[in-house]
Amino acid sequence: MAAAGLGPARPLLARRPGALRALLGLARGLAAGPQTHFGFQNVSEEERREKIYQVFENVAEKYDVMNDSMTLGIHRVWKDILVHKMNPSPGTLLVDVAGGTGDIAFRFINYVRSVRERQLQQKLKRHQNLSWQEISKSYEEEKVKPLGDSQVVVCDINKEMLKVGKQRAQHLGYSEGLSWVLGNAEELPFDDDKFDVYTIAFGIRNVTRIDLALQEAYRVLKPGGRFLCLEFSQVSNPLLSRLYDLYSFQVIPVLGEIIAGDWKSYQYLVESIRRFPPQEELKEMIEDAGFFKVDYQNLSSGIVAIHSGFKL
Amino acid sequence: MAAAAAGSLRRAGWRLWRGRAGLRCQLYPPQRALHASAVLRRASDEKKEPLASSPQQQFDSPPADPQPDHEPQGPRSSYTGQGGQESEDYESEEQLQHRILTAALEFVPEHGWTAEAIAEGAKTLGLSGAAAGMFHNDGSELILHFVSQCNTKLSDLLEQEQKQVQLGKTEKKPTDQFLRDALEARLRMLIPYIEKWPQAVSILLLPHNIPSSLNLLTSMIDDILHYAGDQSTDFNWYTRRAVLTGIYNTTELVMMQDSSPDFEETWRFLENRIADAMNMDNTAKQVQSTGQALAQGLMGAAVTITNLTGLNQRR
Repeated sequence: MAAAGLGPARPLLARRPGALRALLGLARGLAAGPQTHFGFQNVSEEERREKIYQVFENVAEKYDVMNDSMTLGIHRVWKDILVHKMNPSPGTLLVDVAGGTGDIAFRFINYVRSVRERQLQQKLKRHQNLSWQEISKSYEEEKVKPLGDSQVVVCDINKEMLKVGKQRAQHLGYSEGLSWVLGNAEELPFDDDKFDVYTIAFGIRNVTRIDLALQEAYRVLKPGGRFLCLEFSQVSNPLLSRLYDLYSFQVIPVLGEIIAGDWKSYQYLVESIRRFPPQEELKEMIEDAGFFKVDYQNLSSGIVAIHSGFKL
Repeated sequence: MAAAAAGSLRRAGWRLWRGRAGLRCQLYPPQRALHASAVLRRASDEKKEPLASSPQQQFDSPPADPQPDHEPQGPRSSYTGQGGQESEDYESEEQLQHRILTAALEFVPEHGWTAEAIAEGAKTLGLSGAAAGMFHNDGSELILHFVSQCNTKLSDLLEQEQKQVQLGKTEKKPTDQFLRDALEARLRMLIPYIEKWPQAVSILLLPHNIPSSLNLLTSMIDDILHYAGDQSTDFNWYTRRAVLTGIYNTTELVMMQDSSPDFEETWRFLENRIADAMNMDNTAKQVQSTGQALAQGLMGAAVTITNLTGLNQRR
């Protein structure tokens, strides 16, 4: 990993007595951006972005398998709860940022499809005496617009994750209403006031400037649009917190090594969870970006939290 | 004159004591840093206060709004002053929610009391359908909003009527007529939604909704009896309200399955029930006096028998 390459270079520069060298190092540090954290290390912002890109490049292939083994499959329930909370109706435009392998997008499509089917069924039930023509027209409508104009755009900064996502979509048979875009959450390649719902599931932790990402979220949402963030958060129960810490630091990196052959990435993962702001702080950050009616819901007693805000 | 003044004072005191829902709307929103709001509209466009930070610049000249909406054009930014409270020019989130729910009511006959109706309502206001996420998924807020709106309309109606009577323009109605008219007026407000009303009633009976729906029901009945001139201070206060609540609920149920033109059957049912209630008052008094008479008769009979059998004599 590049982290190892950069590591020894920096202390080497610092030890040189030449003032010019020290100045150059300082200048490079300033150019790379203010200090931030990467797991429990302190790095510059530029470095952090690079490192995170590499983490996900490495884990992309085994991302879904690792998710299942780390959370014992519970992550599926969390994502289901997120989409259920969203309660999208046909015609909703969703942007799933840091959507990577497409979990939220696929669930969204399933949900909208079933809502649409129910809608059409109820329409049929209400008009008791329809002619055969009308009945066949409604079946056609179901085939032509199974999603009722809903669309989901999956946006991710990492090409590998998008590649894996597209393969999955093909494998599972999702083609309609789905598009894949390469983009940075801090600078989305979309126009203002475009989307009904913005979701970011287990992604905002990896964004270097969370405030920028929130501002971008505000920008691309339509008035009345909803911001939903699913992310690991702080556990309040002290006993559970101890068990959770034990599991995180002892079991997860080992699983990472066994299943994905990558200890460091999963070490980063659990460290980044600890460095992420707790529920109330994230709520305040979301409010600062301009969202109203900001609220959060703890899942699994705080291991994961869903934050929701509206652009009003 | 003095009685009228005393009456109005009592009403004012009664309202204050009850702590009406109107006070709830005046909650100040929490402290907020300077930011811009895209939708919460200004009540008055005159005051133009200087905007400080750059994020608000983009809202100064709003991008071409594709949907024609009812909101005033021009800068729509809200911000907080030094004290951290939102400038009183702007509507609060609660008011926006009320607007959305009111707009959603016209979609109820089609979609029922559901989140879809709320989403459609939000769309007519120029908001995205996702704004329906602000409310509970089962549509309870929509129903409660509707019920409280109806109750407010009824109160206003009754107050108007009372003013008319006080000004001497109309005669004061006899109690049973008054109650009948009040209940009929209230039930008529359900007519546009009568098809989906059973669904609404079932949602109102859900455990988490019972406190609010019961509250609304009891305050409505209280209102009606107050304007009917009920000044009882004994147990009658409770009996009267319980009886009237019973009448209202049963009439509502009858109305839901009534198919006669203009719900004639329902109004006739209502008339009969109110007549019953009036009679019940008299019957109660009769029962009491009959009971007393009966007790006295029994005592007399007992004394007579003891006299006849000679048990009373002292030897």
